[in-house]
Amino acid sequence: MIKEIIMPKLGETMEEGYLVSWKKNEGDKVEKGEVLFEVMSDKTNFEVESLHSGYLRKKLYEPSDNAIPVTTVIGYISDTPDEPIVIEKKSETKIEIPEEKTVEQKAVVEPAEIKDKEISGRVKASPIARKMAEEAGIDIALIKGSGPEGRIEKKDVLEYLASKKDEGKAVPSGEYIVKEWTPLRRIIARRLTESKREIPHYYLEGKFIVSEIAREKESRKKEGVDLTYTDFLIFLTARAIKEYPLVNAAVINDEIRIYTSVDIGLAVSVEDGLVVPVLRNCESKSIYQISKERKEIVEKARLNKLTEEETKNARFIISNLGMFGVENFQPIISPPGVAIMGVGKVGKELVVIDDKIAILPVMNVSFSFDHRVIDGAYAGQFYKRLKEIMESPVID
Amino acid sequence: MREITYREALNEALLEEMERDPKVFLLGEDIAIYGGAYGVTAGLWKRYGDERVLDTPISENAIVGVGLGAALTGMRPVAEIMYIDFIGLCMEQLNNQVAKIRYMFGGKCTVPLTIRTEGGAGRTLGAHHSQSLESWLIHIPGIKVVMPSTPYDAKGLLKSSIRENNPVVFIEHKMLYNTKGPVPEEEYTLPIGVADIKREGTDVSIITYSRMTLFSLKAAEMLEKEGISVEVLDLRTLLPMDIEAIVRTVKKTNKVVIVEEDCKTGGTGAEITAQIVENAFDYLDAPVVRVAGADVPMPKSPVLEKLAIPDPERICEAVRKLVGR
Repeated sequence: MIKEIIMPKLGETMEEGYLVSWKKNEGDKVEKGEVLFEVMSDKTNFEVESLHSGYLRKKLYEPSDNAIPVTTVIGYISDTPDEPIVIEKKSETKIEIPEEKTVEQKAVVEPAEIKDKEISGRVKASPIARKMAEEAGIDIALIKGSGPEGRIEKKDVLEYLASKKDEGKAVPSGEYIVKEWTPLRRIIARRLTESKREIPHYYLEGKFIVSEIAREKESRKKEGVDLTYTDFLIFLTARAIKEYPLVNAAVINDEIRIYTSVDIGLAVSVEDGLVVPVLRNCESKSIYQISKERKEIVEKARLNKLTEEETKNARFIISNLGMFGVENFQPIISPPGVAIMGVGKVGKELVVIDDKIAILPVMNVSFSFDHRVIDGAYAGQFYKRLKEIMESPVID
Repeated sequence: MREITYREALNEALLEEMERDPKVFLLGEDIAIYGGAYGVTAGLWKRYGDERVLDTPISENAIVGVGLGAALTGMRPVAEIMYIDFIGLCMEQLNNQVAKIRYMFGGKCTVPLTIRTEGGAGRTLGAHHSQSLESWLIHIPGIKVVMPSTPYDAKGLLKSSIRENNPVVFIEHKMLYNTKGPVPEEEYTLPIGVADIKREGTDVSIITYSRMTLFSLKAAEMLEKEGISVEVLDLRTLLPMDIEAIVRTVKKTNKVVIVEEDCKTGGTGAEITAQIVENAFDYLDAPVVRVAGADVPMPKSPVLEKLAIPDPERICEAVRKLVGR
């Protein structure tokens, strides 16, 4: 029996994924439940286990930064190591079981087509080009081939190495080097372009006086608990959202979905991109639990160890650039969410209270809202409520 | 330096070796009074007489058999097979006796026999007199196969072949006899089994031998005008093959065209290719390309004969394709 390996759909919004790596070679024995390949989707890598035991017979795709639609057949597993694989001509997703086919039908398959499939995805490179790339410690797939059928030749490797060497050197104006798109950058580019194009953004800005939070922070610290402004922000924002659930909504399949749980995403910068791990059910968790989970999840994000489970269904997101001294910025909403919070620096400012000037710690915040779902007044009320909660925090 | 023909160079080599060593004698069809089908032995019968220059009956098996017997008794015979096309007739002697006797007698005898023959197309002599059968011979362990391209190499290598204590098949080319080249007047020999770079280059290596060396040099000259630098390696000896020289040139240019006049299938180029893959795979920047003779009996028609073997223009095409021009 021949069985298909498909690009899995791992989230309700996932439409396509990127093949990151195969964990088996063609011809390898595969046990059911063994990790077969790795896929990147919505900013997370996850390992996909084989649904069948058998032999990995054919890889129709190789890792690349081209997106593969979900349910696309990406390879085949067979029960025995050598039973013939017949790929039906018209559809890539169909597979015929040979013993049920007549000889005439088999003959329909053009050998050239199978051959094309076999070689597609494999990086064509001359032996010396491969050797040179290996010695230089570079991934040959990054090099563009100029030989017949795109074969990477020695001169392509030399040109690539020369271009790498030039990187970082002062170059005359006008000269440039080409930075390769990584799969993650492609995803970020696609999602955010889509968001800015589809979602009518508008922005609110404000300041929270966080002297009370600062005090709370200090007192917890004396008790040996180190909480950050972000922990307070997540904890308290979740309470405000509980009262204004539209902020935590999502637009999926043309429905405005309002959720009972408040799941807050945190934008975390990683090498050459960012990921958004999600803290679940923030409305019902203590600040200590939130703090603990935040630390874990941010660490996992930095190590690129997040699971699909930990990143899926992000809606409302907090993005913090305060550590860089940024006062304010307008973040782009991450679909299917309808709101995002941008946090600027926390610093001491002159504040007028009861006609008196005071110097108090102030947090700069901004929000982007999706006007399709949230009108300005609702957003304003949410802001007002959050400001109250932030400035008179109740930590229970 | 003086310039003489390939024929004259061979004639000089025979004369000098006969002069040097009284054990050297010649035998073959029409080599004495007539001076050989292509005139290589001209004048030698007159000089050395019937004792040392023997006309034989038309029996290739006998020529090689007699040569072997004489060699075993300590003589240094130089036998001539008029056309390599007839080598099949003496294959029993050559393959089963000449090549193996030293080995099978545990080294107790030597076989200092040289078999001169000639091959190749170009004179519209048809399918029986135009073949390139060297690949049959390089499949026989126990003999050496030499195929010089220039008068200088022909003389130096024939002298070494005659002095060699193992059997050598020395294959000349009918279209080279009238080609001229510099040959020093003073004594010299060339080592068997050593290839020669006939032209230095950096972009592509042409590996070739015999007459195709001349075509390859012509092609290299044409390609130079197009800015393609071609190295031409003349193997000179096919068995033993100078693998080190082949690997050196592959390492230098990373791209190889093999030019051979023999039929492509199972030809000498196949062996060269295999040696490259085994010994220099990591230095290849493109698949090895063969420009070879067509897999056909050699046509009698001059037009078709020309088409059946490589020519400089087709060599150029192969090189251009390989460097992406």
